[in-house]
Amino acid sequence: METANKSHSPMRILWREICSDKLALFSLFFFITVVTIVFIWAGLLDPRAVLRQDLRNTNIAPNSEFWLGTDHAGRNVFNLLIVGARNSFIIAFTLAIASSLIGITVGLIAGFYAGTVDNIIMRIIDFLTMIPGLMLILTLIVILPDSVFNFGLILTILGWLGMARTIRMITLQQGAMDYVKASKTLGTRNPVIIVREVVPNILSFMVVNLTLAIAGTMGVETGLTFLGFGLPPDMPSLGTLIATAASPLNMQLRPWLWLPAALFVLVMMLCINYVGQALNRAADARRRRV
Amino acid sequence: MSDVLLEVRDLRTSFRIQGEYHAAVDGVSLDVYKNEVFALVGESGCGKSAMALSITKLHNLNYTRMEGSVFFGGKDLLALNENQINKVRGRHIGMIFQDPLSALNPLMRIGAQIEEALFYHTDLDAVGRKARAIELLEGVGMVNPALTYRQLPHQLSGGMRQRAMIAIALSCKPDLVIADEPTTALDVTIQAQILDLLRDLQKETQASVILITHDLGVVAEMADRVAVMYAGQIVELATVDELFKNPQHPYTRSLLASIPNVNEEHNRLHVIQGIVPPLQRMPRTGCRFSHRTPWVPDNIHEEEPIYHEITPGHYVLCTCYKEFTFDGEDAS
Amino acid sequence: MWKMIVRRFLIIIPQMFLLTIIVFGMSYIMPGDALTGLIDPTIRPEEIERLRELMGLNRPFWVRYWDWFTSMLQGDFGNSFHHARPVTHIIGDRLPNTIRLSLVATVFTYMIAVPLGMLAGRFRETIIDKTIIAYTFFAMAMPTIIFALINLFVFGFTLNWFPIVGSVDPRIDPGTAAYWLSRLRHLILPALTGALLSTIFIINVLRSQIIDNENSDFVTTARAKGVPRRVIYNRHIFRNAALPVYAGIGFAIVGLLGGSIFIEQVFGFPGMGQLFVSSITRRDFTVVNALIMFYGTATMVGTMLSDIFITIADPRIRIQ
Repeated sequence: METANKSHSPMRILWREICSDKLALFSLFFFITVVTIVFIWAGLLDPRAVLRQDLRNTNIAPNSEFWLGTDHAGRNVFNLLIVGARNSFIIAFTLAIASSLIGITVGLIAGFYAGTVDNIIMRIIDFLTMIPGLMLILTLIVILPDSVFNFGLILTILGWLGMARTIRMITLQQGAMDYVKASKTLGTRNPVIIVREVVPNILSFMVVNLTLAIAGTMGVETGLTFLGFGLPPDMPSLGTLIATAASPLNMQLRPWLWLPAALFVLVMMLCINYVGQALNRAADARRRRV
Repeated sequence: MSDVLLEVRDLRTSFRIQGEYHAAVDGVSLDVYKNEVFALVGESGCGKSAMALSITKLHNLNYTRMEGSVFFGGKDLLALNENQINKVRGRHIGMIFQDPLSALNPLMRIGAQIEEALFYHTDLDAVGRKARAIELLEGVGMVNPALTYRQLPHQLSGGMRQRAMIAIALSCKPDLVIADEPTTALDVTIQAQILDLLRDLQKETQASVILITHDLGVVAEMADRVAVMYAGQIVELATVDELFKNPQHPYTRSLLASIPNVNEEHNRLHVIQGIVPPLQRMPRTGCRFSHRTPWVPDNIHEEEPIYHEITPGHYVLCTCYKEFTFDGEDAS
Repeated sequence: MWKMIVRRFLIIIPQMFLLTIIVFGMSYIMPGDALTGLIDPTIRPEEIERLRELMGLNRPFWVRYWDWFTSMLQGDFGNSFHHARPVTHIIGDRLPNTIRLSLVATVFTYMIAVPLGMLAGRFRETIIDKTIIAYTFFAMAMPTIIFALINLFVFGFTLNWFPIVGSVDPRIDPGTAAYWLSRLRHLILPALTGALLSTIFIINVLRSQIIDNENSDFVTTARAKGVPRRVIYNRHIFRNAALPVYAGIGFAIVGLLGGSIFIEQVFGFPGMGQLFVSSITRRDFTVVNALIMFYGTATMVGTMLSDIFITIADPRIRIQ
């Protein structure tokens, strides 16, 4: 009964914590609103029209017709920004969820079984943390055939380490707790304990880390695309817009190409991180109280 | 034993817990005479450590409030500002804490930690301070004071650390030493050594000692007078002989009864904190020990307990002592 | 202490071994080998096969691994396809720049983080503390690339305070005072960009350590001795709080090496990070492999140094 009660209360506590922090609540609503608007608006745009070149209208500064001006191929930067933002969101959400799932699974296994299993997994994670991840990612992207799927796969494979560490640590603590011991004594099978007892209790940490993972992935996508190793050119993203700043001419004379996208990423990152930190405090406070 | 050294009046120390202040020391008044060992005894959480820190205002004022007064050398210590009280701390009142490992700075050599007090309170130069520190270390029974002077706390054993702590407390020849559970963290054999050392040094220096402990054995061995504390109040105060021969307050009797053979009732003892309660000679709301003795009828307690002087110098709080019996014990 | 250092050193050996396996394995799946650049359509297949045999490319995996490994130990990383020069020379050209950048950035990091961490801890819950916490929050949320771009745009292009590209003004003669001053001017903006973002760890650790130490027993002892508050902070609290910060020094250096890919790229700074990006763009895999080895080794050594630093800094471990 005790555990049944606990199983949904963590999320409620998180929600209450968010509500008590006005700025976090605002950030959350702002973020959700922006995402919704971006998805609806992007859905209304014709993807081919957005990418169609119009050589009569190249590099126009922002005006009433082109709110954010046009790029070197005469494309409407505002439309590119909307479609790019949607693509970036999709990628960030998908990759964050995928790598979080790996991280959660590995973390749960390491933390729950502890001992030798944990030791081996942790050595592997330690090692993977030590190798130069960014360089490895870039190299793999170049070696493997160019595709969005491979891009995602590479980021996922190297993106789960932090999540695994956090979940392992919390699961280890939970494993020592009485309710898990009680279940074990009752003869419940381990996978059942993990899914029914442990997961609900660490759900809040998963949500927190997922939030932060989304922010992290957005940053990585932007960075990689800037370096020229991101999404293919026919798939506009926030990174492709920001990458235009690599040319000094664009940077100095045509800030409308990259600055809006850069500020957009920045504001989104601030929102997600703020929500994530507020959640983190809540989850942390709960753990201390338990 | 007549000159008063320290006069505590209506001391109330409250801690802020979730925005509200709760009194840990709740209206304590007591006198400590020159050249005596005054023991403050009670369970953990009864407010005795809070009391120890209150005397020299060592609490963190961000979340602690101290009211009342502590007269020492003609001044109210609680009314002094930080600079003024720093001239009393270490110089006139030395402190010994429970766990010498955490009470000593792990990164500072023992010698430097002793000299720090000398630096602020004496005119000694560097050479003089070093000589004095080594002399002090010798005085607290260090086998090789010159070596200990150069060592770090983690290099010493628990007993040696507490000796070093005592050396710090005594460095400036204080008039009063407050020893907060000085032997609790030590091994039993070491405890006796440290107590012997404390007693010898007390006789030698004629300093008064406030000895805070939960151990009645230590009290019997060391103290001249005893105050028993419960829930932030002093419930009984007497000389050591009187208290052991003629304990009155139910709480004192419970404590004493729990020494030789463990009595089930006393296993359930718990400490109530955080009630906003009355001060001595002020309106009160009942006897605080009453709900740990639910078997005695309510009417034996005073509604507003006051101190009753049973014999000269022996005070008891509340009237319940008159009719109190242990659970199952015959009222006769 | 020595035992601990030796034990820590031994951990690095299997790590390095794994790293070499990974890098060598990657070179296996990379398109092309040492011959690729030499092949032209006129060479007959038999000739290629003969050359491959001659160069040992047909030998088993482990033999080739051993060859590669031993020549690497002798400092031979092969030749760059693109530059047609030994990889070690190419890295040697870039390395001083990156080291200078990392050093300046590390110095900036500590110069900013240590006072801020101390202020935040000392004046916790005040406006000072809240401002510093707000800064660490921004620094955490800020992607390096965006911060670098905005800094370059504002301070380089718009305000013209700093040079916008390169590591030195090519018009100045090397060796003169003006030359080194120009180098320094080129370093400041990229170094500051990196430093402002990498202060978070130190600030947070210092702040929470100071708060923990403030309530520690030895601080109460010091206060009971009558030591003034200011001295308690300087002598007792800060020193103890700084211990974990020493551990960060190794990490900070490594972090700046790794983070410098973005920063060097944005600021057009000819260092190792930029070399990596240009090499991988040109598919110059010998350089890429050597750089991965270099960074991997640097990370492992840096982590080890961090562990050793904290051992040395803490007298409880040092003196036994």
